[in-house]
Formats: sequence, structure tokens, C-alpha cells
Amino acid sequence: MSNDLRQNNLKAELANPVEPLLPIEKKLIGWSLGLGLVLLAILVILSRLFPVA
Amino acid sequence: MTEAALTPAALARPVVTEDWLAVVVGFAIFLLAIASYFGADLIGWVVTTAVWTDASKALAPAAKSYASLGGAGALLTTFVALLAVLSAGALVLGADVKKFAAGFAVAFALSYASWIIGSYASLAVVTPADQAKFGLSWSLKLTNEGGFLIALIVGLVIANAFPRFAEWLKEAIRPELYIKIAIVILGGFIAVTAAGKLNLASSVLLRGLAAIVEAYLIYWSVVYFLARKYFGFSREWAAPLASGISICGVAAAISTGGAIRARPQVAVLVSSLVVVFAVVEVLILPFVAQYFLSGEPLVAAAWLGLAVKTDGAALAAGGIADALIVAKAGAEGVHYQPGWILATTATVKVFIDIFIGIWAFILAYIWTNYIDAAKGGEKAKIGEIWQRFPKFILGFLATFAIALALALHADAQSLPKLSAAIGEANVFRVIFFILTFFSIGVLSNFRKLWEDGLGKLAAVYFVSLFGFVIWVGLVISWLFFAGVKPPLVG
Repeated sequence: MSNDLRQNNLKAELANPVEPLLPIEKKLIGWSLGLGLVLLAILVILSRLFPVA
Repeated sequence: MTEAALTPAALARPVVTEDWLAVVVGFAIFLLAIASYFGADLIGWVVTTAVWTDASKALAPAAKSYASLGGAGALLTTFVALLAVLSAGALVLGADVKKFAAGFAVAFALSYASWIIGSYASLAVVTPADQAKFGLSWSLKLTNEGGFLIALIVGLVIANAFPRFAEWLKEAIRPELYIKIAIVILGGFIAVTAAGKLNLASSVLLRGLAAIVEAYLIYWSVVYFLARKYFGFSREWAAPLASGISICGVAAAISTGGAIRARPQVAVLVSSLVVVFAVVEVLILPFVAQYFLSGEPLVAAAWLGLAVKTDGAALAAGGIADALIVAKAGAEGVHYQPGWILATTATVKVFIDIFIGIWAFILAYIWTNYIDAAKGGEKAKIGEIWQRFPKFILGFLATFAIALALALHADAQSLPKLSAAIGEANVFRVIFFILTFFSIGVLSNFRKLWEDGLGKLAAVYFVSLFGFVIWVGLVISWLFFAGVKPPLVG
């Protein structure tokens, strides 16, 4: 690791105040998770409809 | 990912260079191998290692037509050929060629020595029949792929006990390059394996879609939320960390870091962490898979593709699990065709890799249009999808398509010739795997990472990985692959 990295080490950064979750981040998390679960359910149904020959 | 590639300065270089080099080298090896199918055996001299008790019989050229070279001659020829090609590659990458050549010579020697040791019968032999053949009453049953783990351990010892030596080697320590070359070659191997059972192969491909959904939509959002909400990481740290844990490690962390305009050292530290955890996973998960999932080989394969981060480590774990599970089943009288577990792990991983560019673009769009909008940052351009697309995937697809076309047009007499030709390329794939294992070990200096404050990052990784990534991966792999078995021999 470079000296630059050591000077900007993570320990010091973590001492900074926590950034609150923005509405767009909440949307990203919610939509990703929701869409993921729906798509997985569809894929499970498809895999049951078209089983491995 | 190489140590060189992990420096902030290096991260500013175009990542495509190493990807394209992997395509050129991997594709060249594939074409040279295919030449033997048409009557000109150009790379039959590549060295292979058999399970041995007499060291003088351990090494041999891959093709009988090069038998006059002998084992030592084949090893030397393989080393010289790889040194020449990869040194030229290092030149293209802008590396110090002299340092690369010196480092590569040592890396190759230690890696291949590990492979030879791993093929020693008392370590490698699995079945009672083979034990009898070698006159052994017991063996560790690691299969000859245990050599991968020995190479990894040798690398770890160098990184943690001899850091100056590791620093001297660093120009040649390029696990991402080695594994990308191996993946390009693997495309042809998977195609020939799949050609015989197209129904099963296409089903495996379809089920690869589930891996994309799981990695990008489910894992990413949960890890990001966890890192932001409960561990207090800033957006700049949480996004690359979520990508590193969820998608495919180093490439994803670097792409995400670039997409959200994070400082280069963020991707550096996250990538280092990914490598360390990948090492731990490779050492443990294939054996867990063999113990608990040997009755469901493709569940094990998909699970490893989803749970083990970094392409190299995932394919390595798939390769070890392939050998372990096929051997265990063989000892119980079930003789699966080898290669299907590795092929399934690789398919899952390749599916996940393909979407890195698109995911990076989505994140770039959100960050530039909503999160960094107030700072007046540049908006994401559509060309970033191509810019961040892992180009070595194109090489994989090309070798897969060509080998599949040849296999589907081959008759019963010529198919074994094609398999033998691809087999020669596959020997190179194994050598690049060994180099990957060794290189991953050399990059894993645990003490240095801890000093840099990685404890809390590691905590997120640990909680995410062992808290839900491997369990959710197991459940979803089970949903899609339970009951799907590799074809039997014959």
C-alpha cells in the first residue's frame, strides 16, 4: 500500500459522522430486492414448467 | 488482479488492456490446440503431471507424438513458451519486462513444483483401486487438484513470512490475467463437454439467469443496506464493498468504484479484502460441498459459483469440487463424467460477469443524476457499458462457439480427436489455474491489510458472506439444480 493510502486510512474515515440513507438509496435497495424476488419466483416457475430433460 | 493493478496509478489505466491480452493469449492457445484436430499437433509438447510414486514418471508431454522430449523436456519447453508469450504480454501491458520475466520464472517454478507435489500418490489417490495400484494402504484423497491448494499455501507463506520476496515477485503476480486466459480456454472445453448432452447444457445455461438476479438484485441490495445502515460506511465505501461481496469480487469492486467516482484506494482495499476471503473460501467450501452435497453435484457447482468471489477462486473451487465429488461418487460406484461441476460453476460465474458493465452503468446513472447531482459531476454515458464490459468474456464466447460448432459437425470417429485437441488446450488451462492460486496467495498479506484498517470492512464481509450469501446461494442453487445430475461415463 502507498503512503497516501496509509495517511487516508480507513480507521480515520470511519470516525466521521454517518451519512444518512437518501431517498434514492432507499428506492435502489427496495426496487432491487423487490424486482429480484419477483424475477426469482418467475424463474423458479419456469424451471418447473420446463424441467431438465 | 495484480499488486500492480491495485495501485491507484494503475487503476487509472484502461482495464481493457489486460482483458484483451487474455483474449489474445487464450484464443491463440485454443487455435493451436484445434490445429491438432486438423492433423497438425502444434502444442502436444505441453507438460502434464500424472499421479506418481516414482518422481521420474511424474511428468510427460501431453501428446505421444512428442514423447521423445521426455518429462523434463516438456516442462522446460512449456516454461520457455509461456515465459516468451507472457513477457511479450507484459511489454504490451507496460510492465517492467525484466522484472516480470524474473518473477515469472520463480512463480512458475514454485507453482508447478506445488502441482507435482500435489500429484504425489499418498496425497492424491482417491479410490481403493488406485490405492492398490500404487501399493498404498491410505492416502489423503485430495485428488491431484490438491496441488492447487499447495500452490495457494506456498503463496500465502511467501506473502506473510517473506514480504520482501513477495514484493520482488509482484510484477509477475497477476491472478486476474492468468484466470482470464484460463477462462477463455475453458470456453472450448465446456463446449465439447456440453455437446454430448445438449439438453442438460442448455438447462444449465437457462438456470444461470437466476444467478444474475441473485447476485445483482438480492445480494447487492442487502449488503449495501447492511454496510450503510448498521456499519456506518459512507456511500463511497458501501457501493464497491457491496459489489465486491455480491457480484464477482475484484472486477466488480473496481468497476463500481469507477462508476461512482470513488477514490482509487477504495477499490484497492475492497479488492484486497475480496482476495483474502476468496482464499478462505477456496480452502474450505469445496470440502464442505463434497461432504454435504456429493449427492447433488450441480447444486454444489452452482453454489460455489455464487458463494466464492473472484473468478479465479470460484473456478478453482469448482475444479477442486469436481475432482472431489466425482472421486467420492466413483468410490461409491457412481461414475459421473468429469468436468460438469467445473463447467456449471464457470457458467454461473460467466453469467454474473456479463452484467458487470450494465450494473456499473446503472450505478453511474443513479450516482451522477441523483447522488452527486449537487456536486455538478458529469453524467454517465451509454458507452460506459462497453467500457466496463469484461472483454475476456468475448474470448470465452468465441472459443465456446467454435468448439461447439466443430463438435456438432464431428462424426463419431472424429469427436474423440476433437476432445483430445481441446484436452491439450485444457492442460494450459490447468497451468494458468495453478499460477492463479499461487498469485492469490502471494497477494494475501493479512497483517498489512489489518494495519490499513480493514477490520470493519472485514466484519461486513464476514457477516454478509457467512450470514446470508452462502445460505441464500445454497437455497437458490437447490431450487434450480436439485435432481439435475451430470451424465454418467459411457
